[in-house]
Amino acid sequence: MPNIPNGSANATQSDVPPDDDAVVLRAAGIEKRYDSTLPLVGRTVEVLTGADLELRPGEVVGIVGENGSGKSTLLKVLVGALRPDAGEVRRTGTVGWCPQETLLYDRLTVRETFELFGEAYGMDDRRVRERRDHLADRLDFAGFLDYRIDHLSGGNRQKVNLAVALLHDPDVLLLDEPYTGFDWETYLAFWDLTEELVAGGTAIAVISHLVSERERFDRILELRDGTLHEQSDPSRKPRSAAHGGDGPVGGEGPGDDGSGSAEGEVGRIEGTTGGREG
Amino acid sequence: MGRLATGTRLGLVEFVRQPTTLAMLLVLPPVVVETYGVALESFPQLPSLGADPATAGRVTGTLFAVAFLSGLVGLFQVISARSADERMTVAGFPRATLLATRLVTMVAVTLAGGAVAFGVFARRVDVAAPALAFGVLVLAGLVYGLLGVVVGTLVPRELEGSVVLVFLADVDNALSSGLFPVDAAVPVPGAGDVAVTDLLPLYHPHELFSAAALEGELATGHLGPVAAWVLALLGIAFLAYGHSTGGGLPAPVRRWSP
Repeated sequence: MPNIPNGSANATQSDVPPDDDAVVLRAAGIEKRYDSTLPLVGRTVEVLTGADLELRPGEVVGIVGENGSGKSTLLKVLVGALRPDAGEVRRTGTVGWCPQETLLYDRLTVRETFELFGEAYGMDDRRVRERRDHLADRLDFAGFLDYRIDHLSGGNRQKVNLAVALLHDPDVLLLDEPYTGFDWETYLAFWDLTEELVAGGTAIAVISHLVSERERFDRILELRDGTLHEQSDPSRKPRSAAHGGDGPVGGEGPGDDGSGSAEGEVGRIEGTTGGREG
Repeated sequence: MGRLATGTRLGLVEFVRQPTTLAMLLVLPPVVVETYGVALESFPQLPSLGADPATAGRVTGTLFAVAFLSGLVGLFQVISARSADERMTVAGFPRATLLATRLVTMVAVTLAGGAVAFGVFARRVDVAAPALAFGVLVLAGLVYGLLGVVVGTLVPRELEGSVVLVFLADVDNALSSGLFPVDAAVPVPGAGDVAVTDLLPLYHPHELFSAAALEGELATGHLGPVAAWVLALLGIAFLAYGHSTGGGLPAPVRRWSP
C-alpha cells in the first residue's frame, strides 16, 4: 500500500540503507502522470518527471511553482497518499501532512476532530488534550473547540487543518499552502510555531505558489517541468541568520490574495520564476 | 479496540448530525411498507408470491426499505468521508479498522431502520417468529449496506452512486419478490443452470424473511448463499475501499528506522 503509516513502531528497515544519516526524507526520481480513464476524454498529463528531494532535521525548505506545476501531487507522493509511477520515497520518523484542502470530517467538532486524529497518531488522551490546547492557544482557535468543522470560517478551518498536522509533533512536516486564509497575526504565529519546531529538529517543507519571505527558508526549490530546481539568491540571509530565534520578520502577508498583508523589511520577492502548467 | 470504538462513536455522531437522513430513517420505511401493501392488495394471487398479495407486498416493501436505506448509508459513508479517510490512513489509522468503523456504523443504522420497518410490518402482519424475522431483515440490510460501500467506492459521486443503487435495488427487489416470475437460467460453473433470481442479492434474504415471518421457520438452504454474498461483498469492499483511500497495492515507498 502506498501509505506510510505514522508511528515509528511500525517502521520497517529498508533494504537500501540511507546514504546520509542526517536525511529524514529522501525522494529520488519521482515520476507521476495522470492518464485519462476514458478514451477520447481528457489527456495524459505528465506532472512529475524525476523529482528529487532531501530533507534534513531542523531545516525549512520552500517548494514553489506555478499553478498546476505539480506541487500538491509531489506532496501527496511524499506523504504516501499517492503512488508514484516511478521513483522512491524513504523517510524516518513520523510525518505531519497539512493538505491544501481542509480534509476533515465536516460534522465533527474541532474537539472531536483532534480526538479522532489523536487515535490515528497513536497518542494517549492526555497528550492529545495538551497538544490540542497548546496549538489552539498558539493559533488562536481555542474559542472554537466545540464548533463543527462546517460551521467554521475558512481561516479557522485552515488553522484546524494545520493544527491536525502538528498534533503529534512530527519529525517531518509537509505543508501545502498552509497559511492560505490566515490573518496577519495568525501568519506570524504560524512562523513562530515553525521556529519552535525547527529548534526541536523537525524538518519542514512548505509548498506555496508564492514565497515572499525567502529569508524564512533554508532552501527554496522550484518545481518546473516536473523536476525540482534549487533557486539561489546570494543576497538573501540564511534563515538561521535572519531570525536567530528572535521571532518573525515582516513581509508580505498570507493567503492567495495577499489579504491582510503588510510590507516587510527584508527580501520581498514577488511571485515565482518561470515554469509551465503541468 | 480504542480506534474502532472512537471511530465508530464519532461515525455515529456524524450520522445523527444529518437531520434529513434521520428523518428519512423514520419516514421512509413506514411509507414504503404501507405503499407496497396497499398497492398489491388488488394484485392477482400468483403462486410465486407465497402469500396473499397484500402480505407479500408488505414483505417485499419491508425488505426493500431496509435494504435500500442500508445501501444508501453504506454509499454515503464512503463517498462523503473519502478524502478525510485518506488523510486518516496517512496519519496512521489502519485502513481495515477505518472500514470496520464504517461498517459498524452502517449496521447500527440498519438496526435502527430495520426496527422501524419491522415495527410497521408487525402491526399489519401476524409475524410467526419475530426475533428470527428481524434478524433476517438485518442480514438483508447488511448485504445491501456492503453493496452500498462497494458502489460508493467504485462510483465515488453521490448522484451517480445513488442512481446505480436505486436501479439495482429496484430491479433486484422486483425480481426477488416473485411479482414477476422469471424462468430464465444461466450456466454457473460447477452448479449447472441456475435461475437468474437465485443470483440476485435480495432473493435469498427474501426467502429467509418470508419463511421466518409467515411460517416461523429458518430456511437454512438460503443461509449459505446469503453468507456467500456477505463474504464476497466484504472482500470486494475492503479491496475497493483500500484502493479508494490510496492503498491496495504494493508501492515503491519505504521508510527506515533511524
